[in-house]
Amino acid sequence: MTFKILKLAAATAVLALGSANAALAEVPSWCGPKKATIALLDGYGGNSWRQVTTASGKQTAELCPSITKYEYADGQGDTQKAISDIKGMAAKGVDALVVFGDAGPAVLPAITSVFKAGKVIVPYRVNVGGKEGENYTKFIGSSFVDDGASWGNWIKGVLPKGGNVLFLSGPAGNSQGLDELKGLKSVLGAEYKFLNAEPFDVTNWDPALTQKVLTAEIAKNDKIDVIVSDFGPSLVGALPLFNKSGRSIPALATSDGNSLGCFWTDNQNAQNKDFKLFTVATGNDNVRLAVQWAVAKATGGKDPEAQIFKAPAFEDSTKGKVQCRKDLPGAIYLSSELPAEDQAKAVGK
Amino acid sequence: MNFAAGAIPSMSKLPGIFAQPLAKSFVTVVLSTIVLILICFVFAPSSMSTGALKGSLPFAAVIAIVGLGQLLVVQQGGFDLSLAGSVSLGVVVATHYPQQDDALLWQAVLVAFSFAFAAGLTNGILVSLFRLNAIIATLGVNALLYAGVFAVSGGVPSITTNLLGNIAGGETLGLPNSVYFALAALLIVSFMLKKTVVGRRFEAVGANPLAARASGLHVKRHQLLAYVFAQLLYCVAGILIAGITREPTAYQGDSLLLPSVAVVVLGGTSLLGGRGFPISTVIASFFLNQLSQFALAVGVPYSAQTIIQALALGFGISAYSVRWTGSASKQTTKLEKMEDVK
Repeated sequence: MTFKILKLAAATAVLALGSANAALAEVPSWCGPKKATIALLDGYGGNSWRQVTTASGKQTAELCPSITKYEYADGQGDTQKAISDIKGMAAKGVDALVVFGDAGPAVLPAITSVFKAGKVIVPYRVNVGGKEGENYTKFIGSSFVDDGASWGNWIKGVLPKGGNVLFLSGPAGNSQGLDELKGLKSVLGAEYKFLNAEPFDVTNWDPALTQKVLTAEIAKNDKIDVIVSDFGPSLVGALPLFNKSGRSIPALATSDGNSLGCFWTDNQNAQNKDFKLFTVATGNDNVRLAVQWAVAKATGGKDPEAQIFKAPAFEDSTKGKVQCRKDLPGAIYLSSELPAEDQAKAVGK
Repeated sequence: MNFAAGAIPSMSKLPGIFAQPLAKSFVTVVLSTIVLILICFVFAPSSMSTGALKGSLPFAAVIAIVGLGQLLVVQQGGFDLSLAGSVSLGVVVATHYPQQDDALLWQAVLVAFSFAFAAGLTNGILVSLFRLNAIIATLGVNALLYAGVFAVSGGVPSITTNLLGNIAGGETLGLPNSVYFALAALLIVSFMLKKTVVGRRFEAVGANPLAARASGLHVKRHQLLAYVFAQLLYCVAGILIAGITREPTAYQGDSLLLPSVAVVVLGGTSLLGGRGFPISTVIASFFLNQLSQFALAVGVPYSAQTIIQALALGFGISAYSVRWTGSASKQTTKLEKMEDVK
């Protein structure tokens, strides 16, 4: 009996030691020894993209045992609330803040004051203006120019002789859309005609408005060869309009989403002979790099090598790679590092 | 020319659909719409093509339905700000509850309608029985409804069921189904208001609550009814949006609040209450929607699109509310009436 217990104790000890070793081995280089708390501040958390992003940020922070707490606040699209969230988190004593500054330069004063108070603050993805080391610790942008260039190169492959391009982006003047256009124009010559109003058709990334805008453009233009959009899934509601007017859905260069992949799969028929699809990863993992930088600075870890997030190309139907998971919600992103099942949980199914 | 809102003088003795003389507001809104259609044909013919109309009419239908709801409340001298929350709640219940399972759709619709009924009852009780200011009361209920939206959806959109997509987004006899829903709502509201005893009393109460009470009408009951029916109409609109848009956001109602008031005013109903113009309201919805399609189709920059819409709205509203040849005495009575209502 005693022997049995001893054996069990020994086994447990070995197991515990082993797992401790494994945990030690898994601590990433950006995670230092100093204890710290971290907060993710969203300007607007009301869509599945943000929920998956939040879950990804949390998962990244959890990889570092020095992080004792991970907090989250949603500005709900209200700039005032976003500002008070940032200041409130800092006042609460959180050591590192990762900020999605939806309101752009409007949140810079709050970010600067937190930085001046000695906190680590890392704005990411949306350009808030200001300078590194002066207004914030580090800005982790996403290379939207590269996204534009990837789309442009694919379009050149599909339509080598040029054609009519329709480019849709979010709110008027958003920096993401402008950068993507820069990337597109760097690759596509004058033989590619942009049908949209300069610089892009405004959709606010709202599926209802997207539908209205696309309706008007389809009626106005007899020939649309390729649609470029930085939020692919918002197009799904509007694309059947092409079939309603007896035309094939055109080629699509955009960002990924499960609902879009499944829509492509469901609509491969004779009527849609021109419907080719190319996506870049929608960039949920942008937050991972930002969290890594914030953790590195707050815990005394090693700075990550990457300074900017580059979204890899994800699907290309001309090479036979389109992903669709019918068993999971449409509002998840298979390009994300977060496993699809965890995403499904994050978006509430 | 006297385009005063709520004025009843007949324009002509032509028998209308409801065998009533045509109201000036009706003539104005029809003429404006015809002018807009002509302008569209000349400057942006694509916005009048079959494809464009089929794509945009569903949105006009949704505005028409929320406009009819707002109309009922405005007729009682009220104002319903809970529209945004109510429509959004309708949308998320219709998409999140069934989670793309067609069999659960009818239950979702029932749940959505019960929420709408409860919200309408709350609005009505607060405004008519407790005499709260309509703007304050409905603003509060709007916050409650949004709490419901977050509880149901967590602020995340969900994909609509195929069945709802076919019902709300499909077509019958070449017309989008949503248009039939709008027409049915119009018929019901018009018939109830203009051809039933309840409806006639409803308008009388809205025109002058004091006189109505003096003549023995249940003022509070009629005011309460306005909020309940308005909510039911918003709910219909919310469910339709859920079907028309494949993956609607959880805030879809926000962009409908202003248009709902705009079409009521463009339709010629006075914000002080009284006689309502359902048909004009529905035509105004088409007008407003076509205006935004026109702005999109001419392909001007986004800033200019917004300006075009603002100008047209300002023009339309001033056509009614400024008394171009109004007499001073009438102005005073209007002001006095405003005092009474307060």
